[in-house]
Amino acid sequence: MIHFLAFSFRRAVEGLWRNRVMSLAATVTMILTLVLLASLVILLSGMQAGLAYIEGKVEIRAELHDGVPQARVEILRSQLEALPEVASVDFVSKEQALADFRAQLTADGREDVSQYVGSNPLPAQLVVKLTDPKEFGSVRTTLEAPAGVVERVVEQQRNVDRLISITSLLRTVGLIIVALVGITVLLIVVNTIRMAVMSRADEIEIMRLVGATDAFVRWPFIFEGLLVGLIGALVTLGLLSLASAPIGQLANAIAGQAPVGFSRQLGSQVAGVVLAAGLGLGGLGAWISVRAYLRR
Amino acid sequence: MPERRVSRPRAVGTDQEARADADNASRPAVGRTGTVRVRLAMTTLLAPRSADTPVQSTLDRGPRRTRRPDAPPRPRISVALHHVSKVYPNGRRALSEVDLVIPEGDFVFLVGPSGAGKSTLIKLLVRDEVPTHGEVFVAGHELSRATGRSIPRLRRQIGIVFQDFRLLPRKTVRENVGFALEVTGTPRGRIGPAVDRVLALVGLTGQADQRPSQLSGGELQRTAIARAMIHDPKLIIADEPTGNLDPLISWEIIQLLLRINEMGTTVLMATHNAEVVTALRKRVVALEDGRIVRDEVGGYHRDY
Repeated sequence: MIHFLAFSFRRAVEGLWRNRVMSLAATVTMILTLVLLASLVILLSGMQAGLAYIEGKVEIRAELHDGVPQARVEILRSQLEALPEVASVDFVSKEQALADFRAQLTADGREDVSQYVGSNPLPAQLVVKLTDPKEFGSVRTTLEAPAGVVERVVEQQRNVDRLISITSLLRTVGLIIVALVGITVLLIVVNTIRMAVMSRADEIEIMRLVGATDAFVRWPFIFEGLLVGLIGALVTLGLLSLASAPIGQLANAIAGQAPVGFSRQLGSQVAGVVLAAGLGLGGLGAWISVRAYLRR
Repeated sequence: MPERRVSRPRAVGTDQEARADADNASRPAVGRTGTVRVRLAMTTLLAPRSADTPVQSTLDRGPRRTRRPDAPPRPRISVALHHVSKVYPNGRRALSEVDLVIPEGDFVFLVGPSGAGKSTLIKLLVRDEVPTHGEVFVAGHELSRATGRSIPRLRRQIGIVFQDFRLLPRKTVRENVGFALEVTGTPRGRIGPAVDRVLALVGLTGQADQRPSQLSGGELQRTAIARAMIHDPKLIIADEPTGNLDPLISWEIIQLLLRINEMGTTVLMATHNAEVVTALRKRVVALEDGRIVRDEVGGYHRDY
């Protein structure tokens, strides 16, 4: 087994070197594919994180008329809580709303403008949190059903919808691009290995005549494809690690306080995806080639 | 020579052989008395041959040997073709109803005009092709039944030599010969001594580190023979080994093959070299239009 692996590896390296122009083309295309793939993974996971952050904040606020009896508010609240799409309902009194507003102003370092107003201008509110931000079902109609309770329903849903559609569009377009480039690199690997097989036609003929098993004929070529994938993946990861610091700064600048940054976990995920894609494409391309050209 | 054959390690023991015989009634086998017990049409195949043919003489040697009653049957058959026909997919009929038995240790010339079926016969023996009808036995295995992993193992029991040498130009003599061991999974440490041994056998020790471009035709063919011998095969198939060589060098190659044959290896040599065939008085099998038209000792007879 060790002889077999050593033999296959030696032959693979020898083969790569023998067809070095073609091997280089395959490796560079492999790097291009993997960089694209890694960028897509990073971008999508960043957007996913941002989306999750924003979605967690999605709520429906209902501003109440002043002077609505507390009993009617409680009835509405229990009706809302009975809906399956509602996660929680909080009541914010006029006083609480004013206190929150003032706290927010102080936190932002701005002047408390409410002190110039004699009475409390803020309405009492019902804050409805949803189990799934995309499913707000009958919350709105429930809120608006009883006359004279809810003055206005405030939603952020439209913004969230827009973000979700952008993310899914990006995912689709990105996957199509990566798939196209992936097919290209696959074909280039197939061609590279085909040339390697052809340049060894005489050796393969002799190997068969002296009784080499199929494994000895085939696996060196599959190793060659795997090596193209491995080298491509390692170069890609090297490029990404060089670029990770500026990308992280850029992401932070764009996303602000939303947790979009590059965690160590994302890094290892990207490394895994890049390695798996590189080895997978290289190995698959070689396998296709060897199957097609060494058929007896 | 017979003593050597007796002492040769046997691939198949008596018990296994008996079982194999029971399994396969059509398999040619050799009886204890020394007569070839070939089932089906094999007996008729042997009948017309004159008494001094190599096959018969080898068989006759049998009873004269002192042997325990339970001794394994001898001599062994190296190659047997039974009613073999080969029709290529394009409809060309290369071999028709060929029957041929070559006992172990024989030296057989295969002659015939181009297109007579010599190449097809050789391809069948190394299982590059399978027969359309009939059975091909080499070293006790029916080849068309061999599948997958057993085919490479069978090929290691056969050494093949070609007219065009088929050496790898980038490799030295030593590497060319060692390649056959390398690609069959031999540990590197064992390759060197084995290569030295066969290079000494063919007389190329001094040229071990030269590349094919530096060698003469005779040296190239001796390298190819060394490669064919590296697996210690029971059978050497030489396809026109002297076709590219001048007469003097051809004789050297023939002498080498004869020496290999004397050491117990069966040799089947396809050739157009009438001088060699006539001079050596060995068994000659002549093919014409895919049929065996002659099978006797010596003589080339025709201008092919």
